[in-house]
Amino acid sequence: MDFDAIVVGAGPAGSCAALELARAGKSVLLIERGPFPGSKNMYGGVVYPRILDELVPQWWEEAPIQRWVTRRSTMIMTPTQALTIDFRSQNWAAPPYNGATAYRPDFDHWLAGKATDAGAQLLCSTVVTGVLRDAAGAVIGVRTDRPDGDLTAKVVIACDGVNSFIAKEVGLYGKVDAANYTLGVKETLALPKEVIDERFGVRGREGVDFEVVGCTEGVNGGGFLYTNLDTVSLGVVLKLPRLAAQKKRPEEIIASFKKHPAIAPLIEGADLKEYSAHVIPEAGYKMLPKLVGPGLLVAGDAAALCLAAGIWLEGMNFAMASGMYAGRAAAQAVTRGNTGPDGLKPYLEMLNSSFVLKDHRKLQHIPHLVLSDRVQNQYPAFVANIVERMFRVDNPAPKPGLRRIVREERKRAGIRWRDLLSDGWTGMKGFS
Amino acid sequence: MTVVACLKWLTPHDADDRFGGISPADSSALEWALRLGAARNEQVLAVAVGPAAADTALRDALACGAHRAIRVDSADELSSNDVAAAIAGAIDGLDVSFVCCGDYSLDRGTGSVPAFLAAQIGARQALGLIEIVLGNEVIALRRLDGGRRERLRVDAPAVLSVEGATATLRRASLSGALAARTAPIDVLAGPVGSHLPTARRPYRPRARVLPPPQGETLDRVRSLLSGGTATKSHGVPVELEPEEAADRIIAALDEWGYS
Repeated sequence: MDFDAIVVGAGPAGSCAALELARAGKSVLLIERGPFPGSKNMYGGVVYPRILDELVPQWWEEAPIQRWVTRRSTMIMTPTQALTIDFRSQNWAAPPYNGATAYRPDFDHWLAGKATDAGAQLLCSTVVTGVLRDAAGAVIGVRTDRPDGDLTAKVVIACDGVNSFIAKEVGLYGKVDAANYTLGVKETLALPKEVIDERFGVRGREGVDFEVVGCTEGVNGGGFLYTNLDTVSLGVVLKLPRLAAQKKRPEEIIASFKKHPAIAPLIEGADLKEYSAHVIPEAGYKMLPKLVGPGLLVAGDAAALCLAAGIWLEGMNFAMASGMYAGRAAAQAVTRGNTGPDGLKPYLEMLNSSFVLKDHRKLQHIPHLVLSDRVQNQYPAFVANIVERMFRVDNPAPKPGLRRIVREERKRAGIRWRDLLSDGWTGMKGFS
Repeated sequence: MTVVACLKWLTPHDADDRFGGISPADSSALEWALRLGAARNEQVLAVAVGPAAADTALRDALACGAHRAIRVDSADELSSNDVAAAIAGAIDGLDVSFVCCGDYSLDRGTGSVPAFLAAQIGARQALGLIEIVLGNEVIALRRLDGGRRERLRVDAPAVLSVEGATATLRRASLSGALAARTAPIDVLAGPVGSHLPTARRPYRPRARVLPPPQGETLDRVRSLLSGGTATKSHGVPVELEPEEAADRIIAALDEWGYS
C-alpha cells in the first residue's frame, strides 16, 4: 500500500481526519481538488469550533477568524414587517468564545496546515475520480485525474463534500432525493469596518449573526446575514424542489431580500465582491447515508452531517468532529490491521456517543418542521400581525385582548388549531 | 546539454501567495522546454528569480518533468537587465542549448528579459514566437507588425520567447506531483534592489491629444475614423549621425506618448 490512509478533500472534515492520523504516526495523504485548501469552498456561515479544543488547544489565538459572534438575531419577516429576537452576550467576546465568522480559504488553509505540520502530505489541484476496489469489493485506494493517477491505501476517508461521488460510488447512499437538499446562495458585500461596527452595534472583533425566516418569496428556506471584518455575507437558503417549481432565480430572491426595509439600511452603499452558490444537505438524520463501508469512512458534508434546525444552523463543527473521529477510528483500525467494516465500526460508536449523532437524532424532526409550508408561508405573517396589532394604538377603539388577536389572526392566516398544536408539539419535542 | 525554462512568479498585488502563479506564456515556455529536452534528449532546468513562494512554480515544473530547479532568491522588484543577469549567473557554466521564456510577464510586461538574457549569455534570440516546429532543426514562426510573420531556423544556443497560446502545459503525473513536493530546489543569492518605479502596471502609451480634423469633409471623416492616422504623413527620410538619430528617435517616441 502507498499510504496507511488517503483522505479525499481538505475541508474541515478532511483536515481533522488527516491531523488525527498523522498524530497517530500513520502515513496519510490529503488530496484536495483546489489549488489550496479552502479555495473551492463556498461558505457564509458561523463556525462553532469548540471541537477544536481537543485538536488545537488555544486555537482561538491563531485561527484566522474574522469576528467573534456576540449578537444573534432571529428575524421573522413578511414583505412589510420584521420581528426580531435579538440576543447579545459579551461572554462570547472573550476566550473560549462561542461562534465566529471566517473566510473559508483562510480557515481551511490554516487547518490543513495543522495536518501537514503533524506529518500529513497534502496534494492539491488533484481530483479523485473514483475508488479502487479489490475482488471482494473493499476500497483499497483512489483513482485521480492525473496521469498514472492510482494510489492505494489501507483506509480511504471520503470528505469530498455534499454530493460525495465516492460515497455514492460505493453505494452508501440510497436513492438521492432533491427534497433533502437546499441551495445556498450568498453575496459578499464590502463595507468599511467602522460602518459595519456602527450599523450592527458592535466593536472591535465582535460580530453579528442574523437568521431570517419568511424572506424567500414563498420558496421554502431562509435568509442570513453575517458580519466579517469589512464585509458582510448575505444570502438565502432555498429548498431545491420548491425553487424549481416556482421557477424563480436565487439572485432575484436575494435582491428582494436586500431591498427589505429591515435589511436595506444595513447594507446601503456596499460593494458586491463575490457571489457564490452551494448545495447543502439539510434533511438531517433522516438523510444520513451509511457512514462506514469496507475500507471506507465518510465524514462531513459527504456524510450529510449538517444540522439545519431553526435556531441551530451548524455544519463545520459536525464536519470537524466527524473528521476527527474518522481519523481516530482509521488510525486504530490500521494499528489493529483490520480495516474491514468491523475494524472501522468504532467510528460509528464515536459518532453515536458524541454530539454528532446525538444532536442529529434528537433534532431529527426539526429540519422538516422548519422548512414546512406552514412555518415558511403562514406563521411569519401570523406572528408579525399579532405583534403589530399588540403595538398598534387604535384609539378611540379600546385595546383588544391578546386571545382575541390570536384567534382573529389565526383565522386570517388560515391556520387550523390542529396544525398549530401539532407543529408546537413537534417543536417542543424536538427542542426539549 | 541543458534546456532552460525561465519562470516568473506573480502574486496579485492585493492577494497573498496562495493566489500566485506563472503567466500562460511562462507555462507555454515550460512546455516547450520539456518538448525540446525530450526531442534532443537533454536535461531540463527550471529557473526562477523571486521570493520563496516561487518554489511553488518550480515544484510544478519538476512535477511536469523538469530535472532540476534553481531559484535565485530575490524579494525585490528587479529591472529586466538585473533579472537577466541573475538567470545568466544561475546557468553560468552549464552547456545550454535553448532557453525558453514567456514572451512577457503579466505585471510589468515589457518582454525585455529574453533579449537581455540572450545578450548576456551570448546566444541567438528568437522572440515573440507563435509556433515552434521541432524536427532535425528548430523552426520558429515569429509575429511581426502588420500581420506579417517571420519563419526562422534557430540553432543552439538560443533564447526563445513564446506566446501563451503556443502550447498547453502538460498535466503532471501523480508520481511526479508527489515527488516534486519534497524535491530539492537549489537556491542562489540574488541581487537586491534596483531603480524601478513602484507602480505595477502593463506598459502602454500615454493617451495623447489629437487636434481637430482638418481639410475636406471626406478627409475629416477619414481622420476621425482612423484616430488621426489616416491623414498623417508616414515618416520623413532623414540622414543623421548616430547620436542625432538617437535623439530624434527619442523625441519622436516622446511625441507619440511612449516615454
